[in-house]
Amino acid sequence: MRAYFSAFRMRLRLETQYRGAMIGGILCQLFFGIILVALYRALYAGRPQPIPIEHVTTYVWIQQSLFRMLTSTDVDLYDKIRSGNISYDLCRPVSMYWFYYFRAAAQKLMGSLMRGAPMIAFAALLPRGWGITAPDSLPAFALSIAALFPGFLCMCALENIAIGVTMRTLDPRGISGMLSLLMITFSGNLLPLTLFPDRWQAVIRWLPYSQLLDAPIRLYTGEYAPAEAVWIIPMQFLWAAVLMGLGMWLWDSNRKRLIVQGG
Amino acid sequence: MSYIEVNGLKKSFTVKKKREKGKLFREKQIVEALKGISFSVDRGELVGYIGPNGAGKSTTVKILSGILTPDGGEATVGGRVPWQERREYVRHIGVVFGQRSQLWWDVPIIDSFSLLKDIYRLSEADYSSRLKELSEALQLEELMRTPLRLLSLGQRMRAELCGSLLHRPELLFLDEPTIGLDAVSKLALRDFLKWENSEHGTTVMLTTHDMEDIAALCSRVMVLGHGRKLYDGKLPELLEKYDTVRTVNVKYDAAHPELVLPEGVSAEWNDSELSLSYSPSKLPTAQLLALLQDAGRISEMTLQPENIDHLIAAMYKEMDL
Repeated sequence: MRAYFSAFRMRLRLETQYRGAMIGGILCQLFFGIILVALYRALYAGRPQPIPIEHVTTYVWIQQSLFRMLTSTDVDLYDKIRSGNISYDLCRPVSMYWFYYFRAAAQKLMGSLMRGAPMIAFAALLPRGWGITAPDSLPAFALSIAALFPGFLCMCALENIAIGVTMRTLDPRGISGMLSLLMITFSGNLLPLTLFPDRWQAVIRWLPYSQLLDAPIRLYTGEYAPAEAVWIIPMQFLWAAVLMGLGMWLWDSNRKRLIVQGG
Repeated sequence: MSYIEVNGLKKSFTVKKKREKGKLFREKQIVEALKGISFSVDRGELVGYIGPNGAGKSTTVKILSGILTPDGGEATVGGRVPWQERREYVRHIGVVFGQRSQLWWDVPIIDSFSLLKDIYRLSEADYSSRLKELSEALQLEELMRTPLRLLSLGQRMRAELCGSLLHRPELLFLDEPTIGLDAVSKLALRDFLKWENSEHGTTVMLTTHDMEDIAALCSRVMVLGHGRKLYDGKLPELLEKYDTVRTVNVKYDAAHPELVLPEGVSAEWNDSELSLSYSPSKLPTAQLLALLQDAGRISEMTLQPENIDHLIAAMYKEMDL
């Protein structure tokens, strides 16, 4: 375990070095946040939806603030995969899957905290109907934070699946590009899942992607009642376990291929 | 039983060729990288492993470091089979690959070392005494807080060596460690490897194209070509076999003096300068020198130092590599 925590700590610290990327990321996400909010306000002006506009703007801002949790990728690792240097990680007495899982977790955590904290502060200052509103209730707030943890585990597990796919195709475009498109769409980053047609939502809410940020945000806004957390949070953990299992299987079969075919 | 035992090791790779026009499937080609290699290495030996590009050197190193599984044959290192129980096995070995890095690019090297401490579960005391020892021997103290990306190639290689030896491996694999290094860095690296080998009895297996590395470090050399072992023994004995011709350049005070050379010596005159090649086994060097001196006053003379690369090239040629 020591090795994994050590890798986690090191990646946390490393992430704080990329301040230029942080400022760039904040500006970019602020831009998207404002555009999306304006877009939904225009939509509501024409045709009001059953979900209150404050919930939608809160949804948009939390998604934009934690964008880095969904999409940060480890450039070093992709380089290693392309060049074949990844095979030299087999010379270490650790599990590669968990080593890179913890590395990804640190990158996502620090990257999104550094960008998310100032953005949420900014969005909280905006007028109601433009920015973030307060949580529905204190239990709703506590449960949304609690649900963020298994959601985070799922995000890191999905990242490792994308890496596992890249190990096969050797190129982060292609299939893993499609995976990230699925992620952006069905996590609610592009269009809040609450605005999808009801019949779509009946399916989408069970997908792994809605466990990431959608479930915590809906608990926050009160879309999901606090009592519903009894099955939401276990489902998130279940998906985390499934995604980890899938990723480990993928990495293990990649490792065997690597061992047979060479670096 | 020796420390490393390799017996009939085989490995082939499937290479997919580009699809030719008019054909539905890509053709596959099987490349036999190792065609049955056997050798043994004792604990504490410093072995050089040479051969032209594509001879199978790296494949052997990858198999012995647990990265690749062979198609056939056996290998044990210290009684362990590298590709079985890989994670336990790699605790006891260190690897340095000249063109690849195992340290983190953007962080100070001391942080990479402390991560390695946790990866190999070293105790604080053990780690700090070993780090102190290595950083002194490799002159890394000043560089500890510098990120890897800011180091020169020579400094980086020293840092890599330190990283691969922190956990006191019994066996160290070096794959072209001096590639791209300047003369000073090369010499320092060789001195360090000799020191580590004699101080701690670390067994070292070194692949290189730099014959000076082998001459300076290795008591034993193995030559590999086309996936087969072609020579295994001492370097001087190997060179003797191919070291048949020497070149001498002589400059006389007067132009073109009278000189009768025995048969088998080819000479070329250029005014007062003579360049000739002979084989010391047929004509003893002392005898030749006496002849040359009798012919006139010599103002300058050089005996071409044996160029190890030429010898190796001649050897590869004879072995049909």
